[in-house]
Amino acid sequence: MVNQKKTRVIEKGRLTELLDKLAQDYHLIAPVQANDVSFRRVESGSEVTLNYINSVLSPKNAFFPQTETLFRFFRDDNRGFQIEPSVEGDREQVIFGIRPCDARSLRLMDKVFNGQYQDSYYLNKRKKTTLVGLACFEPDETCFCPTFGIDPASGQDVDILFSDIGDRYLVETFTEKGATLLGKFAQFFGEPRGDEEQLRKARKAGLGKMKKLDVSAIADKMAPLYGGDYWDSIGLKCLGCGICTYLCPTCHCFDIGDVNLDEGGERFRCWDSCMFPEFTLMASGENPRPNRKTRIQQRFFHKLKYFYDRNGELACVGCGRCVRYCPVNIDISQIIKDIASGKAGND
Amino acid sequence: MKATSQEVQDSVKKLFEDRRISHFVGYEAGSDSLRVTPCFLKSGQAVSRLVWNPLCANNLAKYLLDLRQADGTVGILVKGCDSRSIVELLKENQIERDKVFIVGVPCNGIVDKEKLLTVLGISPGDVVAVEDDGDAFLVTTKEDKRRVGKEQVLRGECLVCRYPTPVIYDVLLGEAIPRLPWVRDDYSLVRELEEVSVQERARYWNKELSQCIRCYACRNICPVCNCPECIFDKKAPRWLSKANDISENLVYHLIRAFHVAGKCVDCGECERACPMGIPLRRLNKKVEKDILELFGYTAGIDVKQQPPLTKYQVGDLDEFL
Amino acid sequence: MPNIKEVQTEFKPKILAFCCNWCAYAGADLAGVSRFQMPTNVRVIRVMCSGRVPPELVIRALANGLDGVMILGCHPGDCHYSEGNYLTRRRAHILKRLLSYIGIEPERFQLRWVSAAEGAKFSAVVNEATEKITALGPNKWGDKK
Repeated sequence: MVNQKKTRVIEKGRLTELLDKLAQDYHLIAPVQANDVSFRRVESGSEVTLNYINSVLSPKNAFFPQTETLFRFFRDDNRGFQIEPSVEGDREQVIFGIRPCDARSLRLMDKVFNGQYQDSYYLNKRKKTTLVGLACFEPDETCFCPTFGIDPASGQDVDILFSDIGDRYLVETFTEKGATLLGKFAQFFGEPRGDEEQLRKARKAGLGKMKKLDVSAIADKMAPLYGGDYWDSIGLKCLGCGICTYLCPTCHCFDIGDVNLDEGGERFRCWDSCMFPEFTLMASGENPRPNRKTRIQQRFFHKLKYFYDRNGELACVGCGRCVRYCPVNIDISQIIKDIASGKAGND
Repeated sequence: MKATSQEVQDSVKKLFEDRRISHFVGYEAGSDSLRVTPCFLKSGQAVSRLVWNPLCANNLAKYLLDLRQADGTVGILVKGCDSRSIVELLKENQIERDKVFIVGVPCNGIVDKEKLLTVLGISPGDVVAVEDDGDAFLVTTKEDKRRVGKEQVLRGECLVCRYPTPVIYDVLLGEAIPRLPWVRDDYSLVRELEEVSVQERARYWNKELSQCIRCYACRNICPVCNCPECIFDKKAPRWLSKANDISENLVYHLIRAFHVAGKCVDCGECERACPMGIPLRRLNKKVEKDILELFGYTAGIDVKQQPPLTKYQVGDLDEFL
Repeated sequence: MPNIKEVQTEFKPKILAFCCNWCAYAGADLAGVSRFQMPTNVRVIRVMCSGRVPPELVIRALANGLDGVMILGCHPGDCHYSEGNYLTRRRAHILKRLLSYIGIEPERFQLRWVSAAEGAKFSAVVNEATEKITALGPNKWGDKK
């Protein structure tokens, strides 16, 4: 029986080689520098960058792709239909470099896709993916994961955690899956030397000043704010684009469409956003969320109340992406503060 | 002299007091010292929130479309580029001139946050303030004050801006700026691409536009994208599949570039909004260049000018005989 | 995303031609009646005026896999609706340049003036377009290579 909590180290110089080997044996997804950093499939270690706080798009794409073929259909000789399930994404994956906030978001997504209804597309990928996390020692001002009980330097939600402690990475295994993966590449890893905990402690020094907001009973505090004026100015400011929802690691709304051609076609699912006006538009023309105020209100109620009411956890992991990239600087951490302090009720 | 935040606050307070306006759209401090956010006021009470500094990138003209339903006159703070968007909105009768009170502020350039952080080697938490200092920006950090030359850290659209002073306004705060000293070649970005082969360009744009996640931020932030029902939201016929792939992305960006042809004033908001860093200005600038060369037309200058694609000259260039 | 091209060994382009009802379509008709030889690659869609063809239709057609799109209209000055083709002309300049800029060979989109009496011209224009676009090869819209 493999000791799951076995600690190892890897010299920094050997990481690229390890990634090369991983890329050969698995579908390896790692951070890549494009215009900004994103998680993409890599075929060699040299494509990987570790010079990032977090990626623009969260790695949820690896489990819940923006566009995913569900099945193909075509006419057969008897003028009937054949359906061919898609095998897209059916492979063993390793995600290298996932941050603890994004790893936590997968647990939240599990509540949706592995709850009352089992989503085979998501679950298949989830089962076949090993998460190799990268501890976060230098977050930026928009990060606030401690608010949600996430320790940016811990491997609570990953299979293996890499921590950069200076000249080497501390490598900790947390699950059977992680141990199995590590076992396959054992030649890259060495025994810890004894000073790793000390070095890690030093690295964690900067994490103390991270924003840790008060979210106690926030779901209850939100209830009286429904329909209130607080959401007016936020709704006015909001552009109604999909940036916050598409970048958010826990957002999971999707639409389904068909591509229909004479000889057949395919059914796909794709991300959708509650910020788009047609999201709740009905065939009659009626729209229960007819303006940006109602839609932006819905977004925050979903993250901080409805999801909590249904699943017992808040649907935000404090990754800060929506804050960083919202073109008009709508800031969920500010909104949480306003709700906690009561300012939102007084506006 | 460039207007200060205080002058803006005083001016707006007076406008409310004199009942010249019932609403005001300006900027206020954002969630960190390098950000500002749109500020909506309905009275002179909270004018102290208003700011005007080199971080004020947003083109607020877009909000005039929502505020059409507001009672009374809507006041708005505009830079040169923003005022040109207002000219375009007026040309298309999207807003009524007498329902808008335009507070113009001549602009000496807006700082590009990312460029600033890279050039100074600091992170957003280190910055306390950014001020205009003539040919440079004065950046106050927690440790000291640093001067950084403007050309290194200006937003792309500011590097080619020919209209730093608003072209339309009811009141102008600060001295008019006749021209910006660093502005030279408007279209170098476009020319570089024009000079390579079609295949090279295909490779370039396919690579860039593959990253597009179709969040529609570029469309939503653009003041001249203002159709009551956008073509991309139409269900019947459906012009664009919701599926995100390069083929559909090309359709989206081409159609949008064409739809803003002759209206785009290069305020740069589309590129600023894009989370994937796609060089959208480089696409829209090509159409702007062609319209200037073919029809001698520049958007956002004169309300009385007719949009170029709604009119013609019998003697127009004709390559199609 | 699947497109409408059939698998073929020798490339035969599929070209769409929007023909205005009053001039170009009549010209096409005349070409047929006069037995001018024309390849069958060009499929005609009749519109009332060349000015009715919005650029998004051309863009969508190319995105769907058509190898070429043409707009054929009345000569400037002869538009049945007086001004439609003048507007087409301005639009087409911008569209052609924009398509080329984004990496689509400009020859794939053409605007030509063909009057009702110019059966021969219609035939020539169709032949020329087919030749040019065959030489370009299949439309590689969105192809990363």
